[in-house]
Amino acid sequence: MSSHRNSSMTQTNWDLIRDAAGSTPTSQASLEEVARRSWPAIYAFIRASGRSPDDATELTQGFICDVFLSRHLLEKADQSRGRFRTLVMGSVRNYLADMHRRKTATTRRPKHGSIGRLDDLAERTSEPAGIPALTPEAAFNSRYVASIIRATTERLQRTLLEQGDEAGWEIFRLRVLQPSLEGTAASYDEIAPRFGLGKGACAAKLLLVKRRFAAMLMEELRATVDDPADLHSEVADLLALLSR
Amino acid sequence: MEPQSHNPRQDTASKLSDTLRWAFELDQSPALAGATWLTREIIPDAKDPFDAILAAGTSLDALRELKNAYKMLRTTGVTAAERSLAARLYAATIAAAAVRHKTAISTQNAAALKRAYTELAEDDSMPEALRDIASLALTSQPPEPR
Repeated sequence: MSSHRNSSMTQTNWDLIRDAAGSTPTSQASLEEVARRSWPAIYAFIRASGRSPDDATELTQGFICDVFLSRHLLEKADQSRGRFRTLVMGSVRNYLADMHRRKTATTRRPKHGSIGRLDDLAERTSEPAGIPALTPEAAFNSRYVASIIRATTERLQRTLLEQGDEAGWEIFRLRVLQPSLEGTAASYDEIAPRFGLGKGACAAKLLLVKRRFAAMLMEELRATVDDPADLHSEVADLLALLSR
Repeated sequence: MEPQSHNPRQDTASKLSDTLRWAFELDQSPALAGATWLTREIIPDAKDPFDAILAAGTSLDALRELKNAYKMLRTTGVTAAERSLAARLYAATIAAAAVRHKTAISTQNAAALKRAYTELAEDDSMPEALRDIASLALTSQPPEPR
């Protein structure tokens, strides 16, 4: 992971998009970061709109290059700052309507630098089962939250391992991540002896790690709203959207 | 009974909601939330820490694990209120083991235990039944370690 990735964790999405659309030494890194954060949700929206996987990949790349980098999104953002999620979803919807009208299929390239990393990102974007059966809005919101959770998880792992807390990471992985991926959690009786802990101490350690994860997740979400006071209503909205 | 149909959308949304919800709740949590979560990791059907410590069916092993969990929370809690609550719960588990199982589950010396029991018995922010068990531990014979 690049040092830029680490420093960008405290940047808002607006900062990143501005930098990505500019010509600064960090523009390329910001573009890659914006693409990394946004790609899954944008792709999911387009795929759930009825496009094939190949078309959805092409349109996602086109959206990121055309809209993020041409400053269209920035102009809207400056006119009406608010929630990154709703602005991006609305922009993708408009973009698809525009593309449908123009029927263009040329591959788009950013004005500066290579898009090799974007292509890599597209190849690495696995499509969860069921996306085509969702509404575009549901697909977008689901992948949007999943992307934020994944980014937070990667950050947590990096932080814990850098601090030498392999036990903390492993306990979190086995008790929290594994159940969400495979449906079953390892028992404390299996985990605790591996780290020379009792069940109670192991649970207390997990509570500490979960709290760090929660703090990091809220920090990630805070970067997606212009006003920190909007964080709680954004989380409430996301929970409501996911429960539909 | 007909088998329930598998709905990948609901599964995914439910998992994402759960993760987001508990992260949000932990971010907002009062002092009791951390102790309650810890308690349920050890005794899944416990209502709260008080319920777990006071229940007649709580085994000695479970009390020992609860004690170890609260002991760690006593130093790692995120707020003074949480650390203070954890200290009371820590003392209460030792008292419950002494009174109900006639067993010492702590290596603390008699003076330190007496102080912890006394503070718990006199803390009117704690449930009365928890304070009572501390009072009983104060007046009972020191149990044998096991």
